[in-house]
Amino acid sequence: MTSYGDILVAQGLFKSYGGVRALDGVGMRLRGGEVHALVGENGAGKSTLVRILSGTLAADEGAARLAKDTRIATVSQELSLFPDLTVRENLFPYRPPRRFGLLDRGAMDRAARPVLAELGLDVDLGTEVGELPLADQQLTEIARALLRHPRLLILDEPTSALPAAAVDRLEGVLCTLTGRGIAVLYVTHFLEEVMRLAQRVTVLRDGRVALAGAHREDVDVPELVSAMLGGRPEQPVRRARTVVDLPPPVVLSGVSVPGRLADVTFTVRAGEVVGVAGLQGAGHLTALEVVCGRTAVSSGRGDIGGRGLPHSLRDAVRAGVAFVPSDRKRYGLMVDREVWENTTSVSWLGLDRGGIAPSRTELVRRTAELTERLRLRGGPHDVVARLSGGNQQKVVFAKWLATEPKIVVLDDPTRGVDVGVRAEMHRIVGELAAGGAAVLIASTDLAELTEVCDRVLVFVRGRITEEVHGARLTEHALAVAMQQGASAAG
Amino acid sequence: MTETERAVDDAERARDPRQPRLPRPLTSLPRRLVRDELGVLIVLGLLVAGIGIPYPDFLDTDNLLSTAHNSVYISLMACGMVFALAMREVDLSVGGTYAMVLVVGALLVRDGWAPWSAVPVMLLTGVACGVFNAAVTTLLALPSFIVTLGTLMLFRGVGLALADGKQITDLPLNDSYFTFAGGDPGGVPFALWVLLAVVVVLAVVLARTRFGARVRAIGSNPDAAAFSGIPVVRTRVQALALSGLTTACAAALALAFYGAGDPTLGQGYELQAIAACIIGGTPLAGGRGSVIGAVAGAMILSVVAAGLVFFEVPINWTSFATGGVILVAVAADSALRRTGRRRR
Repeated sequence: MTSYGDILVAQGLFKSYGGVRALDGVGMRLRGGEVHALVGENGAGKSTLVRILSGTLAADEGAARLAKDTRIATVSQELSLFPDLTVRENLFPYRPPRRFGLLDRGAMDRAARPVLAELGLDVDLGTEVGELPLADQQLTEIARALLRHPRLLILDEPTSALPAAAVDRLEGVLCTLTGRGIAVLYVTHFLEEVMRLAQRVTVLRDGRVALAGAHREDVDVPELVSAMLGGRPEQPVRRARTVVDLPPPVVLSGVSVPGRLADVTFTVRAGEVVGVAGLQGAGHLTALEVVCGRTAVSSGRGDIGGRGLPHSLRDAVRAGVAFVPSDRKRYGLMVDREVWENTTSVSWLGLDRGGIAPSRTELVRRTAELTERLRLRGGPHDVVARLSGGNQQKVVFAKWLATEPKIVVLDDPTRGVDVGVRAEMHRIVGELAAGGAAVLIASTDLAELTEVCDRVLVFVRGRITEEVHGARLTEHALAVAMQQGASAAG
Repeated sequence: MTETERAVDDAERARDPRQPRLPRPLTSLPRRLVRDELGVLIVLGLLVAGIGIPYPDFLDTDNLLSTAHNSVYISLMACGMVFALAMREVDLSVGGTYAMVLVVGALLVRDGWAPWSAVPVMLLTGVACGVFNAAVTTLLALPSFIVTLGTLMLFRGVGLALADGKQITDLPLNDSYFTFAGGDPGGVPFALWVLLAVVVVLAVVLARTRFGARVRAIGSNPDAAAFSGIPVVRTRVQALALSGLTTACAAALALAFYGAGDPTLGQGYELQAIAACIIGGTPLAGGRGSVIGAVAGAMILSVVAAGLVFFEVPINWTSFATGGVILVAVAADSALRRTGRRRR
C-alpha cells in the first residue's frame, strides 16, 4: 500500500456539556488511503468526536489540524435526503450547476454519472429519492458526499440500514476510494465489519481513547469488546425469584416478521424478568412490538396474557400488557396535562374501569397513592411538562401500575434519567416481578440488563442466537454474543 | 424550561415542608365550567354593553333574543365541532349536512309524515353523515380535513338533488311542530331552549365523562393515547357522529322556524362554527375544548353583525368585521395564555 501521509491530526481534544465531560483528552491520526474504524459504546463520545473532526462543533480545548486543501464530507447515520426531490436534485444541494439561471441538468448528469457508476448505483437520475430502496438511498447519500471531492470521508454508522449485498458493494467502494488516497473514518457498532473493512481501529470509552489506531491484524472481536467496556466491576447481583408455576403470560412460538424476525420462540413466566439484547436492527425491539400488538406477525403462534397474539395496542392493553416506551414524550405522556390525567389515562380511559364519570376527587386520590409509592416529586395537579425527565418517567410507570399489569414491557426505561431514579426504577421492576408480573425489558445500557434480568435473550439478525443467564450474565458476554455473526456482511 | 431548571424545581419542592402536596381543594362544578370561559364571556358582555350604551334599543329583550336566535344554528354546530377539534379532527361538512338534513326532513313532511315523527329520521341522518365521515377518514387514513372538505360538497349535493334545486314548500304550517318548535314558548324562541339543554349536556360530557376525557386525551397526544389502549377509532366515530347530530338538531329547528326546506341554506356555516370554537378557546391543535366558549364565540359573531346595523355600517362590511373579530380574539387568547403560563 502506498503511503499518503497524514490527512488529519487531532490532539488533546476536550469537550464538556454542562458538567458532563464528553471528550477527555482524545487524540487521533488519520492517514490517506486507509479506512480507520471508530467504535465505542453509546455515550462513549463517538458522535462528539465526529462532530469536532468534521468542523460542526468546536472543542473546548485542543484542535484538529488538517492537511492542506483537505475537504471533508460526512454521511450521517440518519438519512438527510429530500425524499420528494429527484436523485439529481439531491446530489447537488448546495450550488447546483446553472445555465441562464435555470438548473443545468446536462452538467449535473455529466458530473454525477461517473460517481454513481463507481458506487454501482444504477438508477434513473429523475427518480424521486423516496421511491428508492433504503440501500440505494444510502448510496445516494454517499454519492452526494463524494461529489464534493473530499480527501476525508466520514461514514457515521452507514451500514445499520444496509443489506448484505450492499455492504459487499460498500467494501468495493471503500477500496477504490482508499486507492485514490482518500482517508475514510468509519463509525460503526458492528465489530465484524471493522475486522473486514478497516485497516486500523480506534476505541473510545468514557470520552478517552481506550485503544489507539490498532492494526486490524493485532486485535480480535473479544479484545475490542473488552476495550469498549473496560475493566468495569462485573459482579451481577442475582436475586432468587419465585417463578410462579402457571401458564406463562408471554409465549411466542416460531414467530416471524418479514425482514425483521425469523422463527423466534421464547416464553416469559410470571415473576420473571427477561431481557432482550441486540445491535440495531437485530429484531429484539420487534419482539417487544409483537408482544405489544404493534407489529403483525407473518407466521408463528403466540399467547399474550391468555388471549392469543394481540392485533392492536388496545388488544394488548386489555390482555394486561403495560408498555413503557423509550420515547416517553411521544408514546407515553400527555405532557401538557396534569399528572392525575396521565396516571388515569389507561385505567379509566383505556380499560373502561372506574365507571363513566368517577368523581375527580377519587381519580386524584388514586393518583396520590401511586405517586407516593413511586416517590414522585410533584403532586397530582402538576403539569407533566414541568417535571424532570426522571419524574416524567415515574408518571409513565404510575399510569401502568394503576392497571395492575400481568405483563410489563420496558424499552430503555432509564434513558436520560439520573442514577438515583435509575435505581428506583430497578426497584419497581423488582417489585412488579415479585408481585407476579412477567417483565420483558430491552435496554441500550447493557449494565442495566445484567442488573435487573434473570436471563437475557440475544438477538442477531432476527433470530435468538443465545440465552445468557446465571453467572454468565455479564456485560462482556452480552456484547460478544451480540456481535457473533451480527455483521450484515458476515 | 430546561431539564436543569426542572431538576432544581423538583429539588425545591422536595425541600418544601408542605410535601407531599395535598390535592388542591376542588372548585364546584359550575365554577370550574366557566373558569376557562370567563374571558370570552366578559368580551361578549363588553360588546353588548358597548353597543347597548349608545343604542339602548339594542338591549330591548326582543332584539337580544333575536340576536341570540340568529346564532343558534351556528352555535349548535359549534357545540359538536368542539369535540372534533378537541381530538385534532375537524368537521368541514356541517354546512352540507345541515342542508341535506333540512331537505330530507322537508321532503318527509311534504310527503305526509307527521312533522314530529320526521325529527328522529333527521337526527339519524345527521349521525349517519358523521359516521360516514369517520369511516372514510379511518379507512383511507386521510386527515378529516380533506375527507370532510369532500363530503361538504357531497352532502350539499345530495340535498340539492333531492330537492331538485328548489325550495321545498307546501308544508302543513299549522301543525304543532311549526307553531311550537318554530315559535316562542315562554317568550323565548324554542331553538334557544334546545341550545341551552344541548350546551349543559355537552359541557358535562366533554368535561366529566369517559368519552370526553378520551377526546381530550387523543387530542393531547394521539400516539400516547393509542399506546394507552384508548380506542382511537371508536372515539373518532363518536365525536364526528356527535358533530353530525348537533348539526341535524340545528336543521330540525331551522325547518320548524322557516317552514320550508331550502337546499342552499347554511353556506359557509362550517367556517363560522370553527371560528366560534376558536374564539371560545378551543385550539385547532386539540387537547382542550369548551362548549360554553364555542357558543359564546358564536354569540359574539352574531352580536358584532347586529351591532354593525345599529352603527349604520354598510352591510358589505360585515364580513370584514367578522374577520377582524376572529383575528383579535385569537391574538388576545394566545397572548393571555402566554402570560398566564409565565406566571405559573
